[in-house]
Amino acid sequence: MISEALAQTTVAAAESDFSFLSLFFQAHIVVKLVMIGLLAASVWCWAIIFDKWFLYARTKRQMNRFETVFWSGQSLEELYRTLSNRANHSMAALFVAAMREWKRSHEGAKPALHSLQQRIDRVMDVTISREQERLERRLLVLATVGAAAPFIGLFGTVWGIMTAFQAIAASKNTNLAVVAPGIAEALFATALGLLAAIPAVIAYNKLSADANKLSGRMEGFADEFSAILSRQIDERL
Amino acid sequence: MRVGLIASTAGHLAILVWGVISFPDARPFDVPPVDSLPVELVPISELTKLRVGEKTAELREEEAPKPTEKKAEEPPVPDAKTGDAKAEQPTPATKKATAQPAEATPAPTPPPAPAPEPPAPEKTAEPAPAPPAPQPDKAPEPVPEKAEEPKKVAEAPPVNVKPRSKPTPPPKVQQTAQRREPEKKQDDFNPNQIAALLNKVDASGGGTQSSSTPASLGSEKGQSNVQMSQSELDALRSQIARCWNPPIGAAGADDLNVRLKVSLTPGGDVDLSPQVLNSSGNPSFNVAAESARRAVLRCAPYSLPTAKYEAWREVIINFDPRELLGG
Repeated sequence: MISEALAQTTVAAAESDFSFLSLFFQAHIVVKLVMIGLLAASVWCWAIIFDKWFLYARTKRQMNRFETVFWSGQSLEELYRTLSNRANHSMAALFVAAMREWKRSHEGAKPALHSLQQRIDRVMDVTISREQERLERRLLVLATVGAAAPFIGLFGTVWGIMTAFQAIAASKNTNLAVVAPGIAEALFATALGLLAAIPAVIAYNKLSADANKLSGRMEGFADEFSAILSRQIDERL
Repeated sequence: MRVGLIASTAGHLAILVWGVISFPDARPFDVPPVDSLPVELVPISELTKLRVGEKTAELREEEAPKPTEKKAEEPPVPDAKTGDAKAEQPTPATKKATAQPAEATPAPTPPPAPAPEPPAPEKTAEPAPAPPAPQPDKAPEPVPEKAEEPKKVAEAPPVNVKPRSKPTPPPKVQQTAQRREPEKKQDDFNPNQIAALLNKVDASGGGTQSSSTPASLGSEKGQSNVQMSQSELDALRSQIARCWNPPIGAAGADDLNVRLKVSLTPGGDVDLSPQVLNSSGNPSFNVAAESARRAVLRCAPYSLPTAKYEAWREVIINFDPRELLGG
């Protein structure tokens, strides 16, 4: 391993090219793996960020539209009929779940109204948690990457510094040209780690706040709708 | 999810491509190869040799070419230092000299028999039974045929060699040489070359010029046995420098270089008033010279090794204000 590192450092010293690709190809295999891993993590993080961004924007838009429709004084039966036959998300799904339970309770000869309130609440809780799970899925990846990527980068850094010291020991020379490739390798690994971690941490904080806001909004709607249905149930009892 | 993944991959690829394209343009650092400076720790016993040269000459680093010393085995050896003359001598001395061995060698007559003995006869007397051994040592210098001839002679009369345990002190020979060096002359004397010496009288003993390159700063005698080490010279230098108040304000420090000839007593005191050797057109030169003289007198008892008094009896000190003022 040492001889390999030596060969690499000598090659690096001879070329002393510090472009991205040469930095990558000159690096030790461990550092290469670290770099590849960090790059993949960065790609995955950004994929999640984009996905969540679009999802939250869409969910918010849908909620706004549903709320305007819901509070427009339209009949609930009618609204249920239009919404029930298509795949719904967030508030619409909540509304459909609650309405379906309501409908089912009224299907029999004698409506089962005694514990209907509880059943509706439970159905809406389940829907909320399912929606929440859908909103917050993969957000933990961001948190993990944000926490771990600097350390992974640091590992690459330590390895690069070790290479630099091996080069010093081998050439018995502290010339900058001997040390520079290892240092550059090390710093490149750190840079990649930070590159992956910083957006991940920021996006995690932002997106989890957004998700909390959305689920809070759904819970608020669920409570309101539950209150409306409860009033209806009490009227019919 | 697919949209996000595609967007992310595309974004990363774009950044990577941008980096690959733009970063090689970044000017690479020029790291000049660093040469390590060789530092040699010279032992304190390193000696500064008192060189053979002229006292008025500039100090230069290279050794002045030694005056040509005549080889011991050469037959014509009347002159001690043939190459010591300052100017070319008109008549070449070699004419008579080269003729001399030619006459002597063909007929090995009894008088020139012990001719092979070089100036140190004790050495050659001992290995007389086996002469070939010592001879080859000296043989390479002269022409080969010369070396063979003495061998023959040495074998033939071995009887003559025995009684000569010590060479008889050579009589003082009249010489035409300009310079007298008795120690050398005694070594050079070879009784077998009396004829050559006598013949030399009528030949005007000229010699070649010493050297075309100017002599270095040194004593005229060039006694190599008296050496002052660098640290001793530095000691003297520092002792004087302590008392020297150079003319700080004087304009044109370039030509304020004062050379002072100082005679010292064995006790380290200044014998006579120091003599200024050089002069300059600088109006401040007198001030500088006076300051240098004052410095020498003020620090008067110098502690120097009395054993080497010969070396520092007369010292020429260079007072260069440039060194003090930093150019």
